[in-house]
Amino acid sequence: MTAILQNFMQGSVQKFLRESLPILAMIGYAALNTFFVILISPFFMGVIKKAKALCQRRKGQPVLQQYYNLLKLFKKETVVSHNSSWIMLKAPYINIAVIIVASLFVPVLFSYNNTFSFYADHTTDNNTSNYTNPNNASNSPIFGNILLFLYLLALGKFFMALSGLDAGSAFGGMGSSREMSLSAILEPITFLILLAFAFVFKTTNFFEIFTLTSTTGIVLANPALILLAASLFVVLIAETARVPVDNPETHLELTMIHEAMILEQSGKNLALMEASHAIKQTLFMAVFINIFVPFGYIGNTGNIGNSAAITFVSIMIAMLWFSLKGTILAVAIALFESSTAKLRLFKVPELFMISFFLAFLTIIIEVFR
Amino acid sequence: MIRLLIYISLIALLTGSFIPLISVKHARIVRKFSLFAAVIGSIAMLAFSSAILYTGNALRIFLFQVHPLFQIGLFIDRLAAFFMFTIAIVGLAVAVYSLSYIEHYEYKTRKNVLTGLMSIFILSMALVIASANMASLLFFWEIMALSSFILVCLDYDKKETRKAALFYFAMTQLSTLFLVAAFAIIYNITGSLEITQMQSLSSGPQITPLLSTILFLCIFLGFGIKAGIIPFHKWLPYAHPAAPSNISALMSGLMIKVAIYGLIRFIMFVLPVASLWWGVLILVAGTLSAILGVIYALKEHDIKTLLAYHSIENIGIILMGFGLYIIFSLNNLTQLAMLSLASSLFHTLNHALFKSILFMAAGSVVNATGTKNIEELGGLIKKMPTTAVLFLIGAVSISGLPPFNGFVSELMLFQAFFNVYLLGSYSLQMLLVVCVAVLALTSALAAACFVKAFGIIFLAQPRSKKAEDAKEAPSSMLLGPGILAALCILLGVFSFQIFQAVSGMFGIQFSIPNLLVIGILLILTYMLALFFADSGKKSKLKNIRESETWGCGYKFPLKHIPTIPTEYTASGFSEPIVNIFKKFYLPKRNLERNYYDQAQSVFKDGFVEISLIKFFEKYMYMPVAAGVDFVSRKISRLQSAGLDAYVSYLFIACLGIIILMRFII
Repeated sequence: MTAILQNFMQGSVQKFLRESLPILAMIGYAALNTFFVILISPFFMGVIKKAKALCQRRKGQPVLQQYYNLLKLFKKETVVSHNSSWIMLKAPYINIAVIIVASLFVPVLFSYNNTFSFYADHTTDNNTSNYTNPNNASNSPIFGNILLFLYLLALGKFFMALSGLDAGSAFGGMGSSREMSLSAILEPITFLILLAFAFVFKTTNFFEIFTLTSTTGIVLANPALILLAASLFVVLIAETARVPVDNPETHLELTMIHEAMILEQSGKNLALMEASHAIKQTLFMAVFINIFVPFGYIGNTGNIGNSAAITFVSIMIAMLWFSLKGTILAVAIALFESSTAKLRLFKVPELFMISFFLAFLTIIIEVFR
Repeated sequence: MIRLLIYISLIALLTGSFIPLISVKHARIVRKFSLFAAVIGSIAMLAFSSAILYTGNALRIFLFQVHPLFQIGLFIDRLAAFFMFTIAIVGLAVAVYSLSYIEHYEYKTRKNVLTGLMSIFILSMALVIASANMASLLFFWEIMALSSFILVCLDYDKKETRKAALFYFAMTQLSTLFLVAAFAIIYNITGSLEITQMQSLSSGPQITPLLSTILFLCIFLGFGIKAGIIPFHKWLPYAHPAAPSNISALMSGLMIKVAIYGLIRFIMFVLPVASLWWGVLILVAGTLSAILGVIYALKEHDIKTLLAYHSIENIGIILMGFGLYIIFSLNNLTQLAMLSLASSLFHTLNHALFKSILFMAAGSVVNATGTKNIEELGGLIKKMPTTAVLFLIGAVSISGLPPFNGFVSELMLFQAFFNVYLLGSYSLQMLLVVCVAVLALTSALAAACFVKAFGIIFLAQPRSKKAEDAKEAPSSMLLGPGILAALCILLGVFSFQIFQAVSGMFGIQFSIPNLLVIGILLILTYMLALFFADSGKKSKLKNIRESETWGCGYKFPLKHIPTIPTEYTASGFSEPIVNIFKKFYLPKRNLERNYYDQAQSVFKDGFVEISLIKFFEKYMYMPVAAGVDFVSRKISRLQSAGLDAYVSYLFIACLGIIILMRFII
């Protein structure tokens, strides 16, 4: 009797483990990925600041200054305007929540195979032809949907813009107005880039795209992607409020976009806004890196889709790789920022048009290939 | 059972429409009773339409015969049930909302008319959808048009209302004209007025390509004018602000969807097999309506006009889905075709929900403040907190942001678009690529527009005395939109589960992300962020210091100045976009400068007037109207003649008829 019970117990425990393993792995991955992204984001901010300072022949602040700033802000009290409402107080939290959830969509440490693919239905996991046949939509991933990723960011932006209007100051209003206008005309470019992805990779799921790029030579086989890289870079610059579009250093009248919008925020709320901005930048950098420099992840050491053992060392190595690639990209952004001047607000659409054109060109090349 | 529910619904709505005429003495009770009947009718309609939606058993009921050609009968299949479901939900919410709203309406005698006509309006829309043949469709279509026309011109004392009502009437009659033409052609070919497939039998009458083209154009224009596609959209921004807010909610949420139903019904089930260019035409018309609708909405400061332009935008999005359906299904991409159709239908439901919320919330705001101009509003989030939340839910939904319902339908449409590489034709691919870019722009501009609308109406400080004295709306005016707001959230968060069930029914797969998980994760991370930010010093979050808004060292607001000069305005907010899309607005700048000296160097004073040209009105409607006016003036000259002239007209007419008969017989 006891033997039977023991057997049953063991069996069920094993079964339970086997069934819950993918879910546990998912949660483990999510936690790891998210913490890493949160931790590394201020570092890239610091790198960009430092590199820009060096370009201007200044000594610049320490690379880790961003961390100190955030900690300092977290300790400060929050001051809000008499005019403002709950929107002002909640917006930073909504923003950080949205950005963190969005960070689950962009893997920075793992190359995706079926173990981490977050499919809603695990029984159909072994359908490897998923990305080759988009008509077969039986695998419906929870995460990795690019549209959801973009619209989550848009949700954060929506509330951020509302909080800009909340205090009734001219700065905030102008910031929200310009932020929403520029992001509106940036949107078609982002979508054309996605469409170009669809033409090249035959899918618009992040995980599938990253699997393809990290396990096959698809980027090298499609030189048109270089055009897309330029286009994506412009989106990166614009979404992270960098120089030709905005100036992250100041909220004064020439730029007055992102920084003006969060001018009324203070203390913890400002810290959350800054942190979410830094994370957003890391996410866009990660998208860029994952597509165009896809190596150094856990999981692509072997053949296609083979996952290497997930050990402490391999995780560390993956983190180092990503930090290194991120730093290089950050320095590139800083050099780009230092070498261009801020565009007049109404000249910015011209920059966007170039980017639009490049994405469109990619599609044309793919269509007539 | 279902039949019983249908009869209950019809009778309840019919009673609701005639009760208010009974008594003027006990007007208040009578109105309450009438709205109560409308609520019951809507609930019954909700019940039977969801039953039909679930089981899929189409229902045919014969009601009444006026003439062998004019029978009133109902035919409700899943498509009709889906639209009736939409009508029932919105009708229910609007009826609840009207319980208090109608009492706030200024004119005493007109309150009863408004109540009664509202029931007739809901009933006629439901019956247009349920009509089994074209004669009864046309009959109820006209009742719908007439009742809504009277509702629009309820405030007939105002000049602009009269203009709006006339404009609306002319346009809606134009749409009927095209429909009559289309139905006459169909009758001529098939000899029947039943709404059934024209070429169901292989031995059936053959339709020449020319005739089928004319037929399609008539159907498209007839329903399209009523749906408000650009360039036939002009009546929407006139009629919606003129009508009472509950009626605007019905017109914008439902009536234009009835036209969409007609378009879908006739193209999918009646007309002969579609040609590719039909799909392309619908797609292009949809794209144009979407982008122009939102661009025009951005410059509006009248809250209801702004919402009306957004209706045009959303109708465009719905039509894009339907156009894609035709294109994909003619290319044998069934899954994608069904995905586009589902997105189109789902967006129809979603738009009905959130646009009704927005119109009702706007109605509450207009009621509380007495102004429709958003430049005079502001700070209402403190005065009307619940209305603000409702409007916010509507705004987030219409901007297509997750995890609300508007996002899901836009996502499905985008996903259908993203598979354009499966299409064979290069030119089609290029067209769709352009449409995706335009759709993306539309959706982002809509978000910008609703940041403006919500921000200017509800946030910051009141911009006028009216806004300062605003009070929260009574509970029924919160409950009505509240029902729809809850549905907006539920339909968004549970979209994955809903579409799993739908795909079980139809055997189609929908690839949409599980927003329930995303929603839970969002709430969890939100809580975590609150927890972490709050940890350390426990009570810090509550102890937030209030202070003035940073005014560069100046102290605002100045006590003796009623308006706050530093606050951002709606015109200021949309200025960058207006500047970027200058070409669409065609702003005309009238500049006058006076100088002190001859060399024009010392500026004295000046005057500038910036006006936007109403492009369609100036270059399309007015020339047509002027032409008609010219012709009728010429004809009227014939009328003012003597007896001998009339006799000669009679003679010529008789002669003409005789000659004509000669050719025909």
